[in-house]
Amino acid sequence: MNILLVEDEKSLGESILNYLEKSGYHCEWVENFTQGSEKTWAYEYDCVVVDITLPDGNGLDLIEGLKKIKSKSGIIIISAKNAIEDRIRGLDIGADDYITKPFDLSELNARIKAIIRRRNFDAQNEIVFNEIRVSPYDRTVSVNDQSISLTRKEFDLLIFFISNQNRVVTKESIAEHLWGDNMDMADSYDFIYSHLKNLRKKIQEKGGNDYVETVYGIGYKFTKT
Amino acid sequence: MKLLDIANRYYLVVLILVFSIGSLAAYSVLKGIINHEFNEKLFAEKEQLIFELNNYENLQKTYYLNIGDVIDIREVETNPMVSSLLIDTTMYDQYEKKELPFRQLTFSEEIKGKYYVITISKSLLPNLDLIQGVSEIMIGIALLLMVSLGFLNRWIFKKLWKPFYQIIDQLQRFKISQPIPLDIEPSDVDEFNKLSAVLDEMITKNIKDYKTLREYTDNTSHEIQTPLAIIKNKAEILMQEDLTESQMMEVSKIYEASTRLARLKEGLSLLSKIENNQYIASEAINLKQYLEKRLESFEELIELKQITLTTTFHSEPTVHWHNDLAYMLITNLLSNAIKHNIQEGYILIILNQNSLLIRNSGKEPLISTDQLFERFKRSSNLRESTGLGLSIVKRITTQYNMKIDYQYSQDKKEHTIELNWDHSE
Repeated sequence: MNILLVEDEKSLGESILNYLEKSGYHCEWVENFTQGSEKTWAYEYDCVVVDITLPDGNGLDLIEGLKKIKSKSGIIIISAKNAIEDRIRGLDIGADDYITKPFDLSELNARIKAIIRRRNFDAQNEIVFNEIRVSPYDRTVSVNDQSISLTRKEFDLLIFFISNQNRVVTKESIAEHLWGDNMDMADSYDFIYSHLKNLRKKIQEKGGNDYVETVYGIGYKFTKT
Repeated sequence: MKLLDIANRYYLVVLILVFSIGSLAAYSVLKGIINHEFNEKLFAEKEQLIFELNNYENLQKTYYLNIGDVIDIREVETNPMVSSLLIDTTMYDQYEKKELPFRQLTFSEEIKGKYYVITISKSLLPNLDLIQGVSEIMIGIALLLMVSLGFLNRWIFKKLWKPFYQIIDQLQRFKISQPIPLDIEPSDVDEFNKLSAVLDEMITKNIKDYKTLREYTDNTSHEIQTPLAIIKNKAEILMQEDLTESQMMEVSKIYEASTRLARLKEGLSLLSKIENNQYIASEAINLKQYLEKRLESFEELIELKQITLTTTFHSEPTVHWHNDLAYMLITNLLSNAIKHNIQEGYILIILNQNSLLIRNSGKEPLISTDQLFERFKRSSNLRESTGLGLSIVKRITTQYNMKIDYQYSQDKKEHTIELNWDHSE
């Protein structure tokens, strides 16, 4: 999987690159509009992650360029502005998603994964994680070939974990992933815990392993052991 | 009190004062003149009478004396030596058929060798009538003057102070977030021209300052995003390393703080966006359906706290709000009702044509109710709370001219928040 990152802020670029490469992507990083355009003309990426404000141009123009050459790449916009007009325009010209700074790397990762899955649409396409098989399209899950029924939140949680496997994911990022703005609540963490408890129970009932490791005070880690 | 009313009040007081003094003075002067004239007449009659008595046999023939004057002539033995004596008295008047005031002149005289005491009584009635007439005219003029002065004053005020009221009117409608320069017609009054010039200058400067501040806030808020993202993501990267537990805790605190800061910034920039009227467009929203949809997203949280939710929709009002603001308003109110609720508590929602009431069980707020809508005033020590939720709610209600009331009932331990909007809006 090839990903192109266009981000002019060095420290931020480093972190994203680091996280994505550890997630098993082949990731290229350029720091400006010109280089970004050149790269997109030369190669077809599975996903392009673009910052809107670049020193020598606008990320939105880069997306328009991609659309002009009928690129099949998935596109995620990174923006420092949570401006609705920018978001609408970005999605209008063909971006797949929009993420506002500051974001969680785990969230960005999950979104890239989701876009790539959608791009490579295939009914047979399943996410296999040891004995767990997830079909993102019909939203079904089976453990040891026995299907289990999960609630929407449990399903989203499982996908989020699998997308960020072997990574520490914070409670905050889970809460934001599952509830978005509504997570400004004291009990959202209890709530994650309650969903997680159900998820674990349902997987273990069918003889699955418990892959979720609690990282005290921070969050969880879904580890393929 | 209005300037005009105050001025009128002074005018009235002064006018009444001047007129009462003036009337009294005029009355006494008039009375003096008339009295004097009257007495002169009596003395003239006395002389005439004496002349007639001395020269004519028969008094009846004379018609020189005034009709209505009563002449009493008494013959006395010795000279009484009465010099002229004036007294005021009342006598029965044949014509008016009642007691009327008279003035009498009594004197003694020797006529053809005999002594007489003669009294001439003269009715004071014409005299009184005259004074009364004059007084009535005075009062009439006073009233007329007062009324016409009042109208004149009003007219002058309207004309003269027009620029002033224009300025006030424009200042009242002035909003720094949507500045319209003052448009005031030049006046003949130098003071008003000066006032409008000074105001114009002040406003222009304020608009400039406000713009600068706004740009500064926008830029700051924008520029903060990137470093914040770096801190947050670096912390995330660090978390993936093989750290000791205590190191992990430190990193997690950095991460948490950056998350909190991000949320705070988000809230503040939202507030400033609302204040800058960046949410102008509105759409028709069916509040009942909207509430139901929002409540759905809170379902799980309500369940988790085992809260009993009761909704009563008396009506299905349509409001015209900006979609984002509606979302913020309703989400904040609902999430507050859950956040500050107790385990196994309750939430009651009542929707009417013009109002929305949300009542929930909960602990007593730590701050007084009137501070609740201020920025950074938190009613609890919840770490996740930015203290901006209710300020945002307040801002949105102000934008849409809604009334918001908050109450806490000590005995029932319940919070009630009520929104009122104008139906015609």
